[in-house]
Amino acid sequence: MNKLQFRVLYREFLFRMVDLELLSVQGDMTKLLGQFASLLIFASLTFSLPALNFPPRWMTPAQVTALLWSIEHFLIATTMLVIGLFAVLSWDSTFPNKHDVMVLAPLPVRTRTLFFAKVSAMAAALGITVVTVNALSSVTWTSHIVPAGSGFLGVVRSFAAYWLTMFASGTFLYCSVLGVQGLTALLLPRRVFLRVSAFLQMAAFCLFLCAYFLEPNINTPAALSATQNQRALAWLPDYWFLGLFHALNGSLRPFYVPLAQRAVAGLAIVATGAAGFFVLSYFRTLRKIVEEPDIVPGARGWGWTPSFGNSLDTAVVWFSTRTLLRSRQHRVMLAFYSGVGFAFAFFLMHAGHLREQVVNGRISIELMVSSLVMMCTWVVGMRVVFSMPLTLRANWVFQTTAVRSPSEYLKAIRRPLFVLGVTPVWILSAGLFLWLFPWRPAAQHLVVLLLWGLIVAYLSLHEFQKIPFTCSYLPGKSYFHMTFLAAVGLLVLMVRGVLIEYRALQNPASFAVMTAVLAAVALIARWRAVSYAASEAATVEYEDRPTPAILPLGLNRDGVWPV
Amino acid sequence: MLELRNVSKSFSSITAVDNVSFNARPGEVTGYLGPNGSGKSTTMKMITGLLEMTSGEILFDGQRIDRDPIAYKQRMGYVPEEPHLYAHLTGLEYLVMVGQLRNLPSKQTADRIDGLLRLLGLHGDRHVGISSYSKGMRQKILLSAALLHNPDLILLDEPFSGLDVASGLVLRSLIQELAARGKVVLFSSHELETVERVCSRVVILHRGKMVADDSIEHLRTLMSLPTLEDIFSQLAVEQDTAVVSRQIADLILNGRARE
Repeated sequence: MNKLQFRVLYREFLFRMVDLELLSVQGDMTKLLGQFASLLIFASLTFSLPALNFPPRWMTPAQVTALLWSIEHFLIATTMLVIGLFAVLSWDSTFPNKHDVMVLAPLPVRTRTLFFAKVSAMAAALGITVVTVNALSSVTWTSHIVPAGSGFLGVVRSFAAYWLTMFASGTFLYCSVLGVQGLTALLLPRRVFLRVSAFLQMAAFCLFLCAYFLEPNINTPAALSATQNQRALAWLPDYWFLGLFHALNGSLRPFYVPLAQRAVAGLAIVATGAAGFFVLSYFRTLRKIVEEPDIVPGARGWGWTPSFGNSLDTAVVWFSTRTLLRSRQHRVMLAFYSGVGFAFAFFLMHAGHLREQVVNGRISIELMVSSLVMMCTWVVGMRVVFSMPLTLRANWVFQTTAVRSPSEYLKAIRRPLFVLGVTPVWILSAGLFLWLFPWRPAAQHLVVLLLWGLIVAYLSLHEFQKIPFTCSYLPGKSYFHMTFLAAVGLLVLMVRGVLIEYRALQNPASFAVMTAVLAAVALIARWRAVSYAASEAATVEYEDRPTPAILPLGLNRDGVWPV
Repeated sequence: MLELRNVSKSFSSITAVDNVSFNARPGEVTGYLGPNGSGKSTTMKMITGLLEMTSGEILFDGQRIDRDPIAYKQRMGYVPEEPHLYAHLTGLEYLVMVGQLRNLPSKQTADRIDGLLRLLGLHGDRHVGISSYSKGMRQKILLSAALLHNPDLILLDEPFSGLDVASGLVLRSLIQELAARGKVVLFSSHELETVERVCSRVVILHRGKMVADDSIEHLRTLMSLPTLEDIFSQLAVEQDTAVVSRQIADLILNGRARE
């Protein structure tokens, strides 16, 4: 193997986990990776801080042990979730793409060198992810997880056990995804594999998020040894690795033995399977990539193309729909947001304090909140996905055919979010609520849901001037911590809002007031969007630009209302 | 008529197009020639409105194109140098989208698309994804999209790229036919033989500067050279091609080039 070739390819594959073509000319790849790393370190900092004030004084030793086990389990489960999401997001970079093959095939580079460079890049990315998500928590929690009386060597052993467990659990999940990907790539024709990939990615997203949020808490000695829990424990890999951690840490209890054994066996099976399937599928895929195009829509046309307004609105809606249906990357991004929505919804469905507030057994307040959460995450997710371009260099066609005013374009840009964002969630919710609820509260909630969807859509489109999928992406413009805080605030608002709505459902006058307030907010949001579209600042953007270092104060002329 | 008056374009300190002025008249095909990197495509992009000029002005039928860009774009059709298309759409979907973006009546668009696809031999592949199309097929889609709205100004940047012989011959005749019917055609190509057959006049660019703007006949007489290729070599090729090719062969075979 040529070492120079290996180094060049390794670096190339490692830094190309993200599609560079979608970046703006002013986009900085290192900034994007730095943002990703800082996000994980922020998470690690959040997990590590409770260790500084541990254990709480009011707790009994048994409670402290149970809490510590819960924390150990939480850290393992979180690492597995992060690695799982990373594996799904980097799905497309597992195999070299057509461009790689076309460029490298004529060069005297051995397929073996290419393969090892790819595997090394994936291993490095996996390692970096595990390290960043555990960097701070490993330091702060080690002193608490050391078995009593084991001295300095015990600290070293616990530290090593912590890292070995995290790498083992991360490798287990990554290899599981890789194994599934390799097996399907091996069994299916490449074209079918590409289509199935999208569904597998979405299924993996949902599986990881649901498992993380919904799995039972089995972290006391009694619960871990209870017969009725053994079936669940046999299917929950994060508990296996909790067992492995205690085996490595020297704090093994009898009920951890089968779990640790399962972790070792599971890791061995998954790693072997993934290696085998990946090697076989890799070389097969390399051949197939050259022969087959990535995207091939059916050879039969679909004559029915309904109109969504004027011809510009229709063109933009159909372009957005087809892009979403045929682009794997965009579907996966949308699946991520809907997965988060589902996770929140499931979390709320299990929140006891909400269930206690239900007066009428036929109306589920959790379902009402969940529908609002799903509407919010789906619409916001759709809006985020619209910002990611597809075949950026083809956007010249929109620029050279711009035969209408910017305000008409901005109106057309809003249309896909209503058609693809608000409408599907509302229709599905309508079916669900009219089936489960009495018709009157169902209809009332659907009115609220529609108004809520319109408000979220208009707010998320505020000053959005991009035709979906046509403008370059500039990373680093959004601030994660602010977005996170806003999301938490919004969640609290939705829960409070539904409690108010629930009470209003009992009283027509209150409901009318509530609907009027929501309708007024929706109208104001619409008025803002329309006013902005008609203003001089309205243009259609094709190149994302950084926020200027100096922002104008936006002072208005006398008698002019700020819009 | 398309008029370029002292048009310049600079990228930071590099001047890609330097003070270029010429006219392209209805009824004639104007060839726009130059070596690689001479600023041809940059000029084309400025004429389409994709790039802004650093200085100068471009007029179409006496109106500055940036004064009413919407009206201008309604009358302009463009085939870019690179066939960048939305490969996830089918050929038919792409053309329908272009028709809708151009605000054309749907019935008229459907008929024109159907006709263009049949005449260009793409009708059987209209429901196939563009990702599966060859370079020539993509070029035909670009051409169809550029002509769909019956433009008055047709900008063709390397339109023969990837086309087979038969399609190339059709396109060559089509360009002349469109010019004969009163369209303004600006045509950029490296295929000098085709340019010589198709164009009535040529504009030659070298390092961003215009070095010739005349009819081919007049240039031949003026420079006493028999072909456009000779005229082009004289005006825009700095190196002695025979010497350069010998030096390349030396470099490959002996590891260094002789002076």
